[in-house]
Amino acid sequence: MSMSKTVPPEPATREEIAVLAKHAGLNLTPELFEELVEAYSHVEPTLMRLRRGRDRADEPAHVFDPRKFMPVEG
Amino acid sequence: MSITEEAPPLADALLDCSIVEMGRLMREGSASPVELAQACLGRIERYDGALNSFITVTAEKALQQAEVAARELAQGLDRGPFHGIPFALKDNIDTAGILSSSHSKIFENRVPERNATVAAMLEAAGGILIGKTATFEFAIGGPSWDLPWPPARNPWNRDYLPGGSSSGSGAAVGARFVPAAIGTDTGGSIRWPAAMCGISGLKPTYGRVSRHGVHPNTFSLDHCGPMTRSAEDCAVMLGACAGHDPRDPGSIDEQMPDYLAALTGSVKGLRIGLVRHWYEDEATDEVVAAVDAAVEVLRGLGASVETVTLDPLRDYVDAKTAISTAELFSVHEKDMRERPLDFGKLLRSRVMVGALVRAEDYVQAMRWRAELTTRTMAQFSRFDLLVTAGWMAPADPADADGVDFFKKRQLATMPFSLTGMPALNIPCGFSSRGLPLSLQIAGRPFDEATVLRAGDAFQRATDWHLAKPALG
Repeated sequence: MSMSKTVPPEPATREEIAVLAKHAGLNLTPELFEELVEAYSHVEPTLMRLRRGRDRADEPAHVFDPRKFMPVEG
Repeated sequence: MSITEEAPPLADALLDCSIVEMGRLMREGSASPVELAQACLGRIERYDGALNSFITVTAEKALQQAEVAARELAQGLDRGPFHGIPFALKDNIDTAGILSSSHSKIFENRVPERNATVAAMLEAAGGILIGKTATFEFAIGGPSWDLPWPPARNPWNRDYLPGGSSSGSGAAVGARFVPAAIGTDTGGSIRWPAAMCGISGLKPTYGRVSRHGVHPNTFSLDHCGPMTRSAEDCAVMLGACAGHDPRDPGSIDEQMPDYLAALTGSVKGLRIGLVRHWYEDEATDEVVAAVDAAVEVLRGLGASVETVTLDPLRDYVDAKTAISTAELFSVHEKDMRERPLDFGKLLRSRVMVGALVRAEDYVQAMRWRAELTTRTMAQFSRFDLLVTAGWMAPADPADADGVDFFKKRQLATMPFSLTGMPALNIPCGFSSRGLPLSLQIAGRPFDEATVLRAGDAFQRATDWHLAKPALG
C-alpha cells in the first residue's frame, strides 16, 4: 500500500482559517480569531502528518454494535 | 458532628495504611469508618488550602455514610474490601445532589439528579465519598487561572503542578487526604497526575469501567480508573468499580477476575517488552535513569525483559490528537458558539480548533488508529507486558504564563490511550528537586490483573510508593 502524508499540501492561510471558522459557525472577535490561528498552528502539522492514501477497504477503528443502543431498564 | 473534634491523635497514621490494612483494622475493631472519614476531613481542613485539590468537600454526607458503614460492619454485613474506605471523585463525574462542575464556569452551579455509574458502584461497595476534586477544565487543556476555582498544586512542592487532567485526584491521594480517588483518562489524565504526585494510577482497558454520567472529553478515548498509593490499592478500587454497564455504549461485557487475588508478588516468567525508544531521547536524563533502573528491578525479580521497537511515539500522538480535537469540538460546539468567553482560555483554544478538523481527517485518524492498534497488539504474541516511561519529566512549575500544553513533550501515555490497553503508572524514583518519577506498565486488553501483578511485585521490592510528602 502506498500512502501519502500531506493533504492538504500547504498550510492554511489566515484567510482560509477565517473561512473554515465561519463554515463551522464560529463568529469570532478579533481576539478569539488570534487564539484560533495560534491553536491551529499547533494542530495543523498533526493533521498534515496523518497517514492517507490507504487501501480502499482499510477500516477505521469504529465498530458499531446496534445492541449497545437498546433501551435500558431503570 | 465537628469534622475534627473526634479525630484520634493517630488519625494521620491511619491514613498511611493501605486500603487492605484499613479494612483489616476496621474488621478487627481497631479503627472505624467514622474515624477514617474524620481523619481524611481533618487533614483536608488543615492542608488543602495550600493545594486546592478539592472543589467540594462532602463532610456531612461522608460522616453519615461512615456511620452507616460502621453499623453494617458491626452487624456483619460486609460489602467487600472497599467497605468503609474514603474516596474522592473527579468533578467531571456526576454525583446526585452534589456540585459536578467539571471545574468550569459553564457548569459552575450544576447539580445533577443522578450518580454516574462509577459513583454509584463505589457507594454500593461501601465507599465513603469525601468530596469532588479539581480537574483541568472539562478534563482537558491545562491548569487555568481564569476559572472559578484555582488549579490544584503538587503535594511534593506546591510551587509545582500535579499534572492533569485529574489534578485534584492526584494531589489528594498524594497528600494522603484520601486513600483512593477516581480519575478520568483520555490521553494520560490518570497516569500523568499519578506520575507527578508519586502515586499509582491505572487506566483500565477501554470499556472496563463505565463512563455513564461522566462528562465526555473524547467519546472513543475516554476511560475512568483508580488513583491510589499502590498497585494493590488500585486492585481493590478497580474491583469495586469495574464491570459491564449497558448505559455506556462503550462498556464491554467481559469477565472480571479477582484483582486482589491476582497479586501473587511474583513476575517470574513474565515476558516484558521494553519500549525504550519512546523515552530514551525524549525524557529527561533523570527519568531515563529511573525507568531503566526500575526495569532492572523487574528483571531481577525474574521477568524476562527484551527491548522492542514499536511505531514512533509521535504517530500515536498525532492520531490521538486528531481524533480528540474533532470529538472535543462536537461536545462543546453549542457553548463555543454561544458563550466562548465562559471557557478558560486554554480550553477555549483546544475546543475552537476542533472546528477546523475535516471529517476526512477524523476518519483517516481512526483508520490510522486501527493500524497502530493492530501492530501494537501483535506484540502480545511475544510479550505479556510492555513497559516504558510513565511521564517524560518531573512536574512543571505552577507558572500561569509558562503553561503551554500544545508545546509539551511527547506523551508516552497516549499509545495506550489510542489502543485502549490497560496501563499503570507507578512511582520509580525522584528528581534532584525531590519530585516523583514514574514507570508505566501496559498489558493485553482486559488483563489488568497481570499489569497490577507486575506493579505490585515491583512495589513489594521497592519503597518509592511509600514516600510521603511533607505538607505542614
